[in-house]
Amino acid sequence: MTPDRFEDHAWADVIPADLVKLYAPYQRETFVGPRPALVLIDLYNLAYRGGPVAPVSLVDQYPSSCGIYAHKAIEPTKKLIAAVRSAGIPIFYCTSDNRPMAAPQGVGATRRKKPSAVQRFADDYEIWADFAPQEGDVVIRKQRASIFQGTPLISHLNLLGVQSLIVCGESTSGCVRSSCVDGYSNGLHVSLVEECTYDRHELVHKMNLFDLHHKYADVMHVEEVIAHLDGTGARKVAAE
Amino acid sequence: MTERIWDKFLTERDKAVFAAAGFGALAEWGKRPALVIIDVNYAFCDEEPKPILESIKKWRTSCGEDAWEAIPVLQKLIAVCRGKGIPVIYTTGTRRADNWDSGSWSWKSSRRSETPVTEVTNRDGNDIVDEIAPGPQDLVVRKQKPSGFAGTPLQSYLQLLGCDSLIVTGTTTSGCVRATVLDAFSQNFRLTVVEDGCFDRSQASHAINLCDMHAKYANVRPSEEVVEYLNTLEDGMFDLPSGRGMAARIAAE
Repeated sequence: MTPDRFEDHAWADVIPADLVKLYAPYQRETFVGPRPALVLIDLYNLAYRGGPVAPVSLVDQYPSSCGIYAHKAIEPTKKLIAAVRSAGIPIFYCTSDNRPMAAPQGVGATRRKKPSAVQRFADDYEIWADFAPQEGDVVIRKQRASIFQGTPLISHLNLLGVQSLIVCGESTSGCVRSSCVDGYSNGLHVSLVEECTYDRHELVHKMNLFDLHHKYADVMHVEEVIAHLDGTGARKVAAE
Repeated sequence: MTERIWDKFLTERDKAVFAAAGFGALAEWGKRPALVIIDVNYAFCDEEPKPILESIKKWRTSCGEDAWEAIPVLQKLIAVCRGKGIPVIYTTGTRRADNWDSGSWSWKSSRRSETPVTEVTNRDGNDIVDEIAPGPQDLVVRKQKPSGFAGTPLQSYLQLLGCDSLIVTGTTTSGCVRATVLDAFSQNFRLTVVEDGCFDRSQASHAINLCDMHAKYANVRPSEEVVEYLNTLEDGMFDLPSGRGMAARIAAE
């Protein structure tokens, strides 16, 4: 997107004019970088538990659920994945490494306490069926917030010659944010897909998108990313 | 190559095992290499070629005359890479003046607290030797541990440059060269170790570590062959640092 539309995003209604002015030096053209891979952060069942309702109503039973925000992102995420698959771009999922005896006590993605009423199921950390991984995709198991921390992701990206990431998933403030920052720190161009990224509260979602967009990643609308991917797919067919 | 530098150190059984187990196959060259020069500084080379037992009286990590035999090889490789616009990446150590951050290094050396400087010019042992001084478009990675990857931005530099492989040289073959090769291997980079561009204070360690790396992680090749390969690559493949303003900075240091 062109620099004049740099602030046309979800945070526009919560960011005061003086902050926009303060952050004007970050304005730039946003784009999907060369040789991208799609990275889908923590799209596991736990994020969708309790259905499309306000997450605050799920806080005792399903504290990890993003409720309505998770469910609103399903359709755009399906479209994004379909476009990525037809463009032939590598896909990396991640989910929590909940295997028994994998980590000492106290290791986790956040410091949140576990409420006593919390309900657990065997498939909590399996990927939501709409986005089920397919043959050739890679699923990374992680113990902390970032998909890079203590995982072989970098070695996979090197092997494939990946130079950029297209990121989406949850939560914006937690695993998405830390993965985007680590991607940036590792020299990758990072594009974050707004409509396919979510959190438990809109304000937290918006402020974290705002931070990431200005400092580390290009927050892009799903239609922009799909239009880019369709273009590369078409060019690929033409070349063949 | 029939006779290898490590052959004289191997038993007949060792040779039979390597051959039977299928190790030491020649891997393909990478398409986008970087030249990596590990720790060729005064602490490992001394200020001039001296017999090693003499040299280590002042520079306890010196590799003596073997270092100076490798330097012309490095000069040749650096010239070829600079000429073709292939990234040249140096590593060297960095340390607080009080040596606090030597950390685990102090556990295994009784002379760890020594911090000699060069005669007259008073330069730090971590300064890269002038004979192969970094140029304005080269990269220098400062590290504290054996591997060039440990706690450094090396991976991100290779990512930004789009490198798929490393040509590794420098010292010591058994220490920092091997550690860097191992980490690069673990990150799926293709690896060449330049046999005559590496050195160690122990000739046996040098040979056996080359043997190990050639068996499992890297192609260990003579510089002549590496230069031939480099010459097959296209010029100007990489978006290198511009080098603007670097000469002034180097002069100031």
